[in-house]
Amino acid sequence: MREVDIAVVGAGPAGLAATLACGESGAATLLVDYMDAPGGQLIKQTHKFFGSERQFAGTRGIQIPAIFMDRLSKMPNVALMWGANASGYYADSGVLTLEDGSKFVKVKAKRVIIATGAAEKPLAFENNDLPGVYGAGAVQTLMNVHGVKPGDRVLMVGSGNIGLIVSYQLIQAGVEVVALVEAAGCIGGYLVHAAKLRRAGVPILTSHTVVRALGEETVRGAVVAQVDQSWQVIPGSEREVACDVICLAVGLTPLVDMMWQAGCEMKYVPALGGHVPVRDENMRASNPAVYVAGDSGGVEEASSAMISGEIAGISAATSLGFEVKEADARLSRLKADLTAIRSGPTGEKICAGIKCATVCGGEW
Amino acid sequence: MAGREKTADGSIVICRCEDITLSEIRDLIAQGYHTIDEIKRVSRAGMGPCQGRTCRQLIARELAAALGVPIEQVEMPTFRPPSRPVLLSTIARGEADE
Amino acid sequence: MYSHFAQGREDSGRPLGRLRPNVVRLKDHPILEFPTGREVEFTFNGKEIEGIEGEPIAAALHAAGVRILRHSPKLGRARGFFCAIGTCSSCLMTVDGVPNVRVCTEPLKQGMVVETQEGHGHLPID
Repeated sequence: MREVDIAVVGAGPAGLAATLACGESGAATLLVDYMDAPGGQLIKQTHKFFGSERQFAGTRGIQIPAIFMDRLSKMPNVALMWGANASGYYADSGVLTLEDGSKFVKVKAKRVIIATGAAEKPLAFENNDLPGVYGAGAVQTLMNVHGVKPGDRVLMVGSGNIGLIVSYQLIQAGVEVVALVEAAGCIGGYLVHAAKLRRAGVPILTSHTVVRALGEETVRGAVVAQVDQSWQVIPGSEREVACDVICLAVGLTPLVDMMWQAGCEMKYVPALGGHVPVRDENMRASNPAVYVAGDSGGVEEASSAMISGEIAGISAATSLGFEVKEADARLSRLKADLTAIRSGPTGEKICAGIKCATVCGGEW
Repeated sequence: MAGREKTADGSIVICRCEDITLSEIRDLIAQGYHTIDEIKRVSRAGMGPCQGRTCRQLIARELAAALGVPIEQVEMPTFRPPSRPVLLSTIARGEADE
Repeated sequence: MYSHFAQGREDSGRPLGRLRPNVVRLKDHPILEFPTGREVEFTFNGKEIEGIEGEPIAAALHAAGVRILRHSPKLGRARGFFCAIGTCSSCLMTVDGVPNVRVCTEPLKQGMVVETQEGHGHLPID
């Protein structure tokens, strides 16, 4: 059986950053991802990043995987496995099971960093399973990665940053966004994104939701309705909208199956998207062999993912006795960066959520 | 919209993998199945290829509403590997390097 | 880049029954440049379609106007993809006789035989 010091599951921004930190420490590191190439959600992200230079400010998401790979590919102690799906973690033996094509591979790892990201939340409405009802990530993948128009007229559901940004990307690709509906009374994402949509003539309907998809076997329209403050549909407010895509951007839920399998203490934190592992300030879970990084620890964004990934990588490596130069200073700076990213009005809820998910006193 | 065409029947699908609708879930809860695990075992919701990734949260929400508890009190089912379907031939073939 | 898709081709001399792609391949995107790969042919329910080698089968189908990928086992409801990233399992189709292939991540190859999956599909018996 293959043995490594540290296995990193998921090669999105968090996993890439974690692997780089582990690689730099000299630990024998394995990075796996079920896609054929690294990047996770970065491969769809055409917008320029905010934040500091350390978080690639000014760089587009799509350019970032190559920057990491340039360094990782030169590290002899770092192994990369693409097209390999990690489907199980056995806590008693520290074994990770992978499917590599048609081969079943077991890897014994002293430490595992779970960076599996998050998945689209579904929405329950009539005919919600019709072809043409797509997650926002799917619409982004189709457009930005494969260069295919998702449709001609899109109804966007959800006004968080993803809903706003994907709507704008649709317009850039020449697709009409017939409306954006948001069940809450106010827009969830940054107003700068919403302003761009308004200028492009997209109606943003707050206190509205989709109640029915129309069409026999594919989406041909939707029924939207106004909702009250308890999210109940106001009778008589239903309206039909012609569209061929209903795009759901109603949030993400952390993908944490392996954390449950590992017996980690979990907590339901709505602000972070659902169940997340309880962790200390260095991203270690209650099972001391397991670390969490990126969206699977709580849905935020790529910049935060890269920082928590680096924190997890440094911590996992030092816990095994590998030397990371100026570890303490780096950790302090990274944690300060996270605090900075999380400051501001939208960050407040995240901060509260993270506190909920962090063990008291920040240490086990 | 002109030329009203036949439209899908208005079912709300909770488990896409096993074709379980919202009304079925509500029926089961009314019959006394009060945990995600029980609902899974009797209906197969959550046993399909996506292993509950899509339906688990929706079922949890229904349970929370029906039982009048906050969603964090809804018990999660046991998570066992594999979290994604694996062909039996892959396992039977054994390990790559042993 | 994909101009032949945009124009459609009346005089192509292609066999009858070929699905003509809609104007869905993106050109002139303000930021992105889409990779050009080798054009390959495959069949969908017996009809010939063109796609780009290596792109997900679902993307090639979508570009050809095909959104219904299967009918569900119990209720026979039409399904397409949902997450397009290989996690939700909505997009299962039969490819080269093998059922339950996630076409949103499966790369397209020349000559693939892609079929709408009805229910659970049929296992190939060899």
